[in-house]
Amino acid sequence: MTESAAGPVVDAVVGVRAADWRGAVHAACAPLVSAGALEPRYPERCIAIAEEHGPYMVLAPGIALAHARPDDGVLRLCLSAAVLATPVEFGHDQNDPVDVVLAFGSPDDGAHLALLQNLAEHLLTGLADQLRLAPDRGTAVRALSAVG
Amino acid sequence: MSPAPSRPLTVLTVCGVGMGSSLILKMNAEKALKSLGVEAKVEHTDVSSARGMKADVAIAQGLHADDLASVAPVVLAISNFMDVDGLRRQLDEALRAQGWLS
Repeated sequence: MTESAAGPVVDAVVGVRAADWRGAVHAACAPLVSAGALEPRYPERCIAIAEEHGPYMVLAPGIALAHARPDDGVLRLCLSAAVLATPVEFGHDQNDPVDVVLAFGSPDDGAHLALLQNLAEHLLTGLADQLRLAPDRGTAVRALSAVG
Repeated sequence: MSPAPSRPLTVLTVCGVGMGSSLILKMNAEKALKSLGVEAKVEHTDVSSARGMKADVAIAQGLHADDLASVAPVVLAISNFMDVDGLRRQLDEALRAQGWLS
């Protein structure tokens, strides 16, 4: 985990074995819950929103971004990634299966704007593959820290 | 280039939460519209709020497209948020079909 006074809490896990997409969302959020950046209910809210609206969090082939609202239990601006050992199906008609599950939380409606902008830029320039190729957690955290 | 009457195009990007996916879509739409030379005001929101809003163009994942039929005359369904060129092509085609881009 890396953290600075002003910056987001950033963490990652690699080689994750998730039974299904719900497990993958929990895995992505888990380090942020442990760090005290998200309340334990946050991943449940991400899952509930997807159950209500469909797999909104699947952004591109193989890549999902789990997120919910600030009032769903966000304590600190935060970003994490779970790289899955085995891809899972989210039920998306074009982008399944998914093996990189990102998660972020924002404590208000504006705190995450720069973070998301940087995340989008980094995803356009190969962040997901950097995470997939990361041999260990530290390498993945460093790759993700470049965003925050 | 802007829709008649001459004013910036209004574009709404929509996702289930209104925080993440729709924000990335907003940034991509702004890039794509800029490269098309289209003056536009792009806002992002969640699908529930979007139902009470109006825009020239609504952009969302396909799973929300049906919800947005009453929001905008042009609804674009996006499956890959990383494909800015694809979004640019979709916008180009849709705006030409409306006569908003020549």
